[in-house]
Amino acid sequence: MKTKKVAAILLAAVLALAACGSDDDEGAGTDEGGGASLEAPPADTEATLRVWLNGPDTPDEMIDMAKETFKEQYPDVTVEVERQEWDGIVDRLTNVLPTEDSPDIVEMGNTQAQAFEAAGALVDLSSARDELGGDDLVDSLVEAGTYDGSFYGVPYYGGARIVVYRKDLFEASGLSIPTTMDEFVAAGKKLQADNAATPNFSGIYFPGRNWQATLSFIWDAGGDIAVNEDGEWVGELDSPESVAGLETVQDIMLNANQAPADTDDAEDFLAFCNGEVGMLMGPGWKMGQITGEDGCPGKYDAVLGAFPLPGSDGEVAPSFLGGSNLGISAESQNPGLALAFLKVLTDNPYQTAFAENGLIPVRKSLLGEVQGDEAAEAQAEAAQITRFVPSSENWAEVESGTILHDMGAAIAGGADVQEEATRANDAVVAILNGN
Amino acid sequence: MYRRRWPLNLVAVAVMVVVAFPVYWMLVTSFRPNSQIRTAPRFLPIGTLDNYRAVFERDHFWSSFANSLQVTLLTVVFALFTAFLAAVAVSRFRFRGRLVFLVVVLLVQMVPAEALMISVVKVLEGWSLRNSIAGLTITYVAFVLPFTVWTLRGFVGGVPRELEEAAMMDGSSRLRAFFTVTLPLVAPGLVATGIFAFIQAWNEFTFALVIMDRPERETLPVWLQAFNFGARGTDWGGVMAGSTLITVPVIVFFLLVHRRVAAGMTAGAVKG
Amino acid sequence: MTAVLSAEGTGTPPVLPDSRRAGRSRRPRPARSRAGLLPYLLLVPALAALGAGLGYPMVRLVVMSTQEFGLRQQFGAPAPYVGLDNFAEIFGDPYFWDVLRRSLVFCALNVVLTLVLGTLVAQLLARLGTVMRTGLSVALLFAWATPALTATIVWQWIFDARYGVVNWLLTRLGGDFEGHSWLSQPLSFFFVGTLIVVWMGVPFVAFTLYAGMTQIPNEVMEAAAIDGAGAWARFRDVTWPALKPLFIVLAALSTVWDLRVFTQIFVLQQAGGITRETNTLGVYAYRTSAGNDFGLGAAIALVMVGITLLATLFHLRQMFRQEEV
Repeated sequence: MKTKKVAAILLAAVLALAACGSDDDEGAGTDEGGGASLEAPPADTEATLRVWLNGPDTPDEMIDMAKETFKEQYPDVTVEVERQEWDGIVDRLTNVLPTEDSPDIVEMGNTQAQAFEAAGALVDLSSARDELGGDDLVDSLVEAGTYDGSFYGVPYYGGARIVVYRKDLFEASGLSIPTTMDEFVAAGKKLQADNAATPNFSGIYFPGRNWQATLSFIWDAGGDIAVNEDGEWVGELDSPESVAGLETVQDIMLNANQAPADTDDAEDFLAFCNGEVGMLMGPGWKMGQITGEDGCPGKYDAVLGAFPLPGSDGEVAPSFLGGSNLGISAESQNPGLALAFLKVLTDNPYQTAFAENGLIPVRKSLLGEVQGDEAAEAQAEAAQITRFVPSSENWAEVESGTILHDMGAAIAGGADVQEEATRANDAVVAILNGN
Repeated sequence: MYRRRWPLNLVAVAVMVVVAFPVYWMLVTSFRPNSQIRTAPRFLPIGTLDNYRAVFERDHFWSSFANSLQVTLLTVVFALFTAFLAAVAVSRFRFRGRLVFLVVVLLVQMVPAEALMISVVKVLEGWSLRNSIAGLTITYVAFVLPFTVWTLRGFVGGVPRELEEAAMMDGSSRLRAFFTVTLPLVAPGLVATGIFAFIQAWNEFTFALVIMDRPERETLPVWLQAFNFGARGTDWGGVMAGSTLITVPVIVFFLLVHRRVAAGMTAGAVKG
Repeated sequence: MTAVLSAEGTGTPPVLPDSRRAGRSRRPRPARSRAGLLPYLLLVPALAALGAGLGYPMVRLVVMSTQEFGLRQQFGAPAPYVGLDNFAEIFGDPYFWDVLRRSLVFCALNVVLTLVLGTLVAQLLARLGTVMRTGLSVALLFAWATPALTATIVWQWIFDARYGVVNWLLTRLGGDFEGHSWLSQPLSFFFVGTLIVVWMGVPFVAFTLYAGMTQIPNEVMEAAAIDGAGAWARFRDVTWPALKPLFIVLAALSTVWDLRVFTQIFVLQQAGGITRETNTLGVYAYRTSAGNDFGLGAAIALVMVGITLLATLFHLRQMFRQEEV
């Protein structure tokens, strides 16, 4: 009996040690956080500001520029910018944002932001919205950064989707840049027929899992993923309009395309470099990727062109807006300073630099400044009409459940469009409504 | 048994080829320029050193290497020591809670680690051990213990208790006998589980990703992720070069310890 | 567990393992000694490590499985108690049963293949000369040491529809495999998956069994050979009984791991196929947690523990029967 008691006491001690090692938050929420307000602190403040920026998207020069600008306002504040990888960022944010160790400013993909906003991970910036750009901010990015009427996620940069094409193949087939959706599809089929000798050739490279591109077709046909009616999400994927859009997609996938049905578009530039692609749909930086060191520099540089996906009505087709939002962690000790830095990042000079780097600035007034090559211009045009996924905190689950991926892969494989649309629709609606 | 070994050798070579082929492929790919990797297969490991250059030039390679080395060696040492003691306790003694301990340990092994993630991080955070070598080591030791204990238990059971008793009759304490007599005889088991623990800790990704989120604290597998640009594709050459380099320390560790297995063979030939 | 040597040294034939039990019953010596506090002290480090690293998380796992625990709760919102609702949701979902069935079949296949091949390779290791043995060991070690992520990627390339070696080879051998996708159909997807998991599991089994075999003293093996026993008889009567306990441990552990398998399947899924048709338990659990439903994820984890316990029940009974020697 004695030994059993000893064992029990030992076990309890160990568990107690572990338990008291982890502070269970007692109702910590946005107000508990840094404690300080959003007021701009005095110019002689000494502090360290930690900022997480993801991926290679923000060039180093721009970060330096932002730091210098900020130093003029707050000479005694050190800004530490830590580069994070996109892969796994959600896991990291989920685990670091509730802790004292949290960075002050974090970058989230616009499809990821809603979940964090709803969870109370970020500071409410509604009061500072005007200072950050107000109505000049691009609408769909603001939508991604807004939850339940409050503004948490400041738009950082955007990206619209464009079509990259081979001018020489167009010429050989006697094609000009399509101005309507029908012309686009026809051009794809003509390229496919004319280049049948090239193995694995795709008039329009359309892998099944490229859901962002698929969305353009759904939206163009008048459909959507889901709409929020009085707090309840109603599915639209199986509507006649959506299905019509999906049938166009399947038409392309089966008749003008030889991309694998079950892959995504991450490696489409490789197929392009192998000479297997007439047109592909991708983000604005796709052209740069093809001509860059990872692609085939020099091979197709002279014959690359870009244009925005044309819609059925002659305007551009609604484009999926990629991009990211910045938030201030609720655990930040310096929300006022963080806000001041955010203002630098959303201000004209910084955002203009984005425009010069081929990304979409978040200020509508700067959309015209997007310059550079054809890709940048095509992107600016495509950005005129952008749409976004349902802004729901549960969207993360739709992505982790790969519902749209599976639907696309099945359709690309020739499955019945209505069936797949209905299946995907039911799954999406169930998730969005929190079931 | 000792004559006519060549058919056996032939089989061995065939097995080697099948087993090592993917590793060879990884090596070959690490020498190909990125633009050529996703094209027709090439079989010779020649090409460019650009990928390796990219690996060494990328930020934090050496700090990640140091972090990985520290965490892994500490994990191996602590896990083996702790597991040996536990294995001895469970094999040589009858006490209340013995079976309970074994079952609990096995249950721990059965839980999918990812489900424990947010709780583990919370615990470490409470002790301010996030982004620390100690924090990650504790986690890894806890994860490899079940397997190590169960396996060493089998090896300890294989050592005749008469040997310890003989040592005790010579005046040694029971505890000392375990270290002077039993420990050397379970050397093969220690090697096998040591290699296992090494590989687990060295290659672990999921927990390292979240526990070590500051760039200067990352371990190698997490650092390797930097070559994956998500939507922009992946620097496959870098991934393969990095992975090849990452397997080198494991091979070194193995070569250092594997001769103990043979030593164990002769030590096992002890007359009762 | 091992062959005990003839303690008498009188030239009697070597004592084979089973007689150890017989010997036991002749000697009035208890299997283990009762030695007060020492065993507990020996366990303290292990308990401390397990408790510190996983004690509280385990408790929390059980608690969370009875709660509605999402991202909000991670950030401090209170977690409503929902009793067994999470479990009801799991068992009531027909998709879960699909995943379960798939996982059980996959696991069984992989465990059997890994163990059989692992044993054969261990035998091979035992019979080779030093040079070849080191060579094979290094090859096996490379396979074992390669990070799971990288290994899966390389295997996936080998089976790539466009640029893979397998299709290249098969086309050259005359088959029509140009552009054949190995991942789009679930059956073929799991064929590749099995190849990867078994390939990664065999070295470990082989090494451990080989280490176990080295505990069998040479004299016993030689004596059996001198007695005229053939290779199979030697295996059956000397090697197998000695290895059996170790083998059962490996079988149990392989079952646990292969039921839980995550990285290989997840990475393959990213490369191709229709995810819904290839989810196994480990990936299914992860996708649920990644969807920020940690309560449900915890419940799935516990269900997996339960299933694994059932799957390893046989092994556990065997192991504990050995204990009562």
